Amino acid sequence: MQVPIMPAKGEKFIIPIGPQHPALKEPGHFEFSVDGEVVTGASLRLGYVHRGIEKGTEGRNWVQTLYLLERICGICSHVHATAYCLGVERLAGVEAPPRAQAIRSLVAELERIHSHLLWLGVAAHEAGFDMLFMHSWRDREIVMNLLEGLTGNRVNYSANVLGGVKCDIDARQTDAILAGLEHLEDRTRHYLTVVTSDVMFLRRTRGIGVMTKDVAEKLGVVGPTARASGVARDVRLNAPYAAYDRYPVELITATAGDLEARFIVRVQELFETYRVIRAILADLPEGELTVRMPRRIKEGETISRVEAPRGELFYFIKSNGSDTAERVKVRTPTLPNMASVLTLAVGHQLADMPMILAGIDPCFSCNDRMIVVRDPAGRGAHWTWDDLREYGIEYYR
Amino acid sequence: MKLMTMWKDALESLVSSPATEKYPFQRLDAPDQLRSQLHWNLEKCTGCALCAKDCPADAIEIIVLDKKAKRFVFRYHIDRCTFCGQCVESCRQGCLQMANDEWELAALSKQGFDVYYGDDADVQSVLVGTTPPELEAAAD
Repeated sequence: MQVPIMPAKGEKFIIPIGPQHPALKEPGHFEFSVDGEVVTGASLRLGYVHRGIEKGTEGRNWVQTLYLLERICGICSHVHATAYCLGVERLAGVEAPPRAQAIRSLVAELERIHSHLLWLGVAAHEAGFDMLFMHSWRDREIVMNLLEGLTGNRVNYSANVLGGVKCDIDARQTDAILAGLEHLEDRTRHYLTVVTSDVMFLRRTRGIGVMTKDVAEKLGVVGPTARASGVARDVRLNAPYAAYDRYPVELITATAGDLEARFIVRVQELFETYRVIRAILADLPEGELTVRMPRRIKEGETISRVEAPRGELFYFIKSNGSDTAERVKVRTPTLPNMASVLTLAVGHQLADMPMILAGIDPCFSCNDRMIVVRDPAGRGAHWTWDDLREYGIEYYR
Repeated sequence: MKLMTMWKDALESLVSSPATEKYPFQRLDAPDQLRSQLHWNLEKCTGCALCAKDCPADAIEIIVLDKKAKRFVFRYHIDRCTFCGQCVESCRQGCLQMANDEWELAALSKQGFDVYYGDDADVQSVLVGTTPPELEAAAD
């Protein structure tokens, strides 16, 4: 029989959550210290799904790296490829033709619809509102089919190629996209009503996880999470890339900073996305889809920023003049947003933790870049493959 | 502030048919753009192997039997292919194409995942691991 260990007076009671299934179906380890049901402190450990992607780029040429980086995220794969392509094109001193840039923005916005609808479903599921989850995912199929018809795949679209895009758009596809958007706009209007008026749902979102503008600025949060706290931050506006200077986006912000505001900002962003897609389709520049790219990229380094559905995505690319990147550094929006989860957790009920976590739309496997093995004694050490293997066997014995 | 804001959706779903398709009994047509099995045209190929160099999944091998006589065998590993379509873009001669309707590629055994394109006799010689007799004579 196992005897429960009760904490002594004044001692913290810690609830570990994860790494398996910490509310979402991705691994991360949280430790919440609680006083009864109220969280008094939180800590986080990431790195369970580190895939060595940055190291992997060193053994691939510029073209192959594109497809590796596209697979960092299964939901926002296109923005990763776009960030990389824009950076490499800048290093090489070439610019993709206007039609290619417009198609890049078009696919990015379609992807934003798919990502926000997916998030809406997941967040509703965390709140126990599975009806909204299933209906938003059913409607998401419409945009998945549009993406498949346009690029040739439902996920990992491979629309980008260094120096342009692969897929062109014709009148039939334009009509299909416009018809799909019309239906989605109706549905989105309905979802906005649901998330702002359903009393059961509002109990889980209104006034929960409030982040003021000051805190948001201090933590450096990005994307819809920051915009829900009134921070005017959107790379599409602050530093337009691809075709966003031709088709400007309007900033969607809210001031409440709670979970409800995060729902409102994301759902309202969908309307803005529909408007931008229609603007792109109405005024698509004619011309070539690609320009010739050199096999070897000039020596130099650059940064590339794009607005992923979850927030600012940052790439650092360094070339040494060969056909392989010397260094590619990726920072996904989940990392800055994760700090807000730990800050906001304090003072809330333990049952609100899944919702607060889902509120930032986290993507653990996109975020995990390295593993730090913490040695309590602070010694540094080099481990060989045999050492690691032995450690693994001993650990699980 | 309302209760049960999605009751209409619930009622509609009760009477409407399912949103999912009855695959494999009902098979939808693939869109024209869909990328599935790769096909290679020997006539135009120069053997530059740019497709193999740019393949992110190492799925393409160009086996050169005789470059001057343009005798190549194209070995394509479908199980490794990620269907990104980069090879089609990289090929300057336009000899690679991806079909849009050959996407049911799952199999119970690994054999069959190695697809060979090229002249029948050349493919046979690659399969048994010998050099064709006329090339052997030329090497002597």
